[in-house]
Amino acid sequence: MEALFSLPFQVFICPNLKLRKPSWLKTPSPMFVFALILVSYFLVTGGVIYDVIVEPPSIGSTTDANGKSKPVAFMAYRINGQYIMEGLASSFMFLLGGCGFIILDQTNKPSLPKLNRIILLAIGLLAILVGFFVSRVFIKFKLPSYLGN
Amino acid sequence: INSKQLKMLQSKVLMRHPMLKWFLMSHEKQSYVLQLAILSLAMILSFCTRLFSVIRFGSMIHEFDPYFNYRTTKYLAEKGFYEFHNWFDDRAWYPLGRIIGGTIYPGLMVTSTALYHLLNTFNFTVDIREVCVFLAPLFSSLTTLVTFLMTRELHSTGAGLFAACCISIVPGYISRSVAGSYDNEGIAIFCMLLTYYFWIKSVKTGSLCWSACCALSYFYMVSAWGGYVFLVNLIPIHVLCLMLTGRFHHKIYVAYSTFYCLGTVLSMQISFVGFQPVQTSEHMGALGVFGLCQIYSFVEYVRSKLTKENFTALFRTILMFSLGCFALFLAVLTLSGKVAPWTGRFYSLLDPSYAKNNIPIIASVSEHQPTAWSSFYFDLHVLTIMFPVGLYYCFKNLTDHNIFVILYGVTSIYFAGVMVRLMLVLAPIMCILGGIGLSSVASTYVRNIDLTRKEDKKSKKSADNYPIKSEVALVVVCIVGAFMMFYAQHCVWVTSEAYSSPSIVLSAETAHGRIIFDDYREAYWWLRRNTPPDAKVMSWWDYGYQISAIANRTVLVDNNTWNNTHISRVGQAMSSPEERAYPIMRELDVDYVLVIFGGLSGYSSDDINKFLWMVRIGGSTPSGEHIKEHDYYTPQGEFRVDKLGSKTLLNCLMYKLSYYRFGSMYTQTGQPSGYDRVRNAEIGNKDFELTYLEEAYTTEHWIVRIYKVKKPDNRGNLV
Repeated sequence: MEALFSLPFQVFICPNLKLRKPSWLKTPSPMFVFALILVSYFLVTGGVIYDVIVEPPSIGSTTDANGKSKPVAFMAYRINGQYIMEGLASSFMFLLGGCGFIILDQTNKPSLPKLNRIILLAIGLLAILVGFFVSRVFIKFKLPSYLGN
Repeated sequence: INSKQLKMLQSKVLMRHPMLKWFLMSHEKQSYVLQLAILSLAMILSFCTRLFSVIRFGSMIHEFDPYFNYRTTKYLAEKGFYEFHNWFDDRAWYPLGRIIGGTIYPGLMVTSTALYHLLNTFNFTVDIREVCVFLAPLFSSLTTLVTFLMTRELHSTGAGLFAACCISIVPGYISRSVAGSYDNEGIAIFCMLLTYYFWIKSVKTGSLCWSACCALSYFYMVSAWGGYVFLVNLIPIHVLCLMLTGRFHHKIYVAYSTFYCLGTVLSMQISFVGFQPVQTSEHMGALGVFGLCQIYSFVEYVRSKLTKENFTALFRTILMFSLGCFALFLAVLTLSGKVAPWTGRFYSLLDPSYAKNNIPIIASVSEHQPTAWSSFYFDLHVLTIMFPVGLYYCFKNLTDHNIFVILYGVTSIYFAGVMVRLMLVLAPIMCILGGIGLSSVASTYVRNIDLTRKEDKKSKKSADNYPIKSEVALVVVCIVGAFMMFYAQHCVWVTSEAYSSPSIVLSAETAHGRIIFDDYREAYWWLRRNTPPDAKVMSWWDYGYQISAIANRTVLVDNNTWNNTHISRVGQAMSSPEERAYPIMRELDVDYVLVIFGGLSGYSSDDINKFLWMVRIGGSTPSGEHIKEHDYYTPQGEFRVDKLGSKTLLNCLMYKLSYYRFGSMYTQTGQPSGYDRVRNAEIGNKDFELTYLEEAYTTEHWIVRIYKVKKPDNRGNLV
């Protein structure tokens, strides 16, 4: 058996290489993976796949009574249709709300100085409220009969 | 006072005021009763919120696909399982027929029939239709329970309760499980969550019993829905992820090996699945991970027995050799066709543009479109904001089962983004992660609340670097409560307005009150009562199941869409002028043609709006090569039905059947006769007569129009 294994080496000469795994390659930390997932969440909930397949315009337009064209930000009356900008804006609002809660969780560390804690609390609460209420306003633009009759 | 006197005092108080028993129970008992109360309320709520359409329209089956399931369930209840399993249906896809026994997932029908027989043995003589209508809400209650159990395993009881309350009313799940929506997804979500619950239990305990339970509930899932492919790929991805992060140990080995062996053998018992688990690419991932598990465990075993140098030498050679062999083996099998590549529907999940470019039937279904942001918000509301929060808390303490939940969340977000229908698969994990997020926030901040009185507080030493701790905590907890209230308001509104319409009965609000359009059922019952039993009906494939179930007549094509060539033939007949359509209809033995027309009532999902899909599908096979889509547009590229419309469109069969006698109808004040209220145009071709067909029936609001195909003359051809 040894003779069989040594056959190739009668013909070839092994180079004197020292291959090592590069030192910068290591398993990523959980929070790094979490950040990547947040970016992909932003893209997918913003309807990027819809944009790629259906190719809607970035902003819609209508012509008003005088024949001038006016921009339309939200594609109205359709639940499963969007323009590119409105999709990205809305998923930014979702992410803002989520990050508000994450910031709020960070404020509970006991070793935080007072000023930092107050600033973080304010930012967190603001982000949560803005994210939630602006999303509500956006869907009201899209569906004028939202929460009506 | 000592304890004996205290006990006597307590019993005296209880005798006088038995309701105070609550306050004298221990904290554990109180919390247990509270959990039970909240969970039962959530389960009752999930049943009740799905009943809007039963209250408004009566207990009937909705949409299209449920009618097929209803028909097969009736057959199973009447004839028994062996007749059902061997059923060849010659009343659909005439003249090809359909092997129903081998091409459906029987779980739904078997569940309904079992429930029906159970109720009848206790002499509750309910009709099989009632069981079908109310099955989905019943299973949604059970789903609420399973979500609670699963989230309790993953995180804590509080998170479980939040998740149960969220999933009981989440619109993404309600849309496919209202009362009357008798479809596979109604029970499939329950089976899926049950399988995941057992999987998490088996990963945590490593016991053979839980893994076997997981395999059994996986069998129930395979019998219920084609979406089991998601399960059979997610669980191996989880195991792979655990291997890569170095968390693989004997419990997971036991869990996965048991699950894979038992589960695969059981799944092959369903005729529709057959030998797919060893032949198709969708199942190869599970097989690969199974092999990898064995190799990994063997390697660990050998490593524990050998010295280090011997081991590393042996390890490297064997690893390279076996990896090379396996890759070569898989490549050979795929190229030679023994292992089938990913099929159309599942492949379009990985490459969304594939269906749009290659398979028009898959692309035409509105449920298969990609998802816009508003669908996410509409179906999930506040959960879209809480999803990242839940993920964050999972990432903060990574455990084996948390990794599973993270993988499930990330993969289902992507799939829901590709296809709107898969929002259903995303809804449970959104509720679970949302529940984890809400519960963690609430429990962190409730701990900070300090409700003692002001004088006591001054004496306590509050930390200098955390002022107004209690007030902020109160605000946050109030915000969480307010979010849940907004969520409930949104969900009930969405359920009531958007997801509770039976589609077969339409309703509209006018100044004079509410009008109900029951045209579909009117037409189907006319067919049932006024045509010979062996009459063959041609219509577009959308209505096939309803015609089979309600009118009980033979159809040419139905919603199963398994034969593209046959559908294309029907499309060619609809798109051609009458003279060219008549030979096609004679070839297919058609007696009646049914079209849906919305021009008089303003109903926009009619056949003229679907007409371009008929043209595309009709032109996609060799016998329809003369049918070109651009012939049906004006020279400027518009689709118009008025005088400026293309001549091909104005003379094709579908146009004539929709607008026959419509030219003399006045539909709107201020508009000429023949004004189409959906296309908002006066039709171009008004006064024409039909040569080869005659009108048989038109419903009250002209929504369904039935035509009889004339038999050829005794002598020579029809002029």
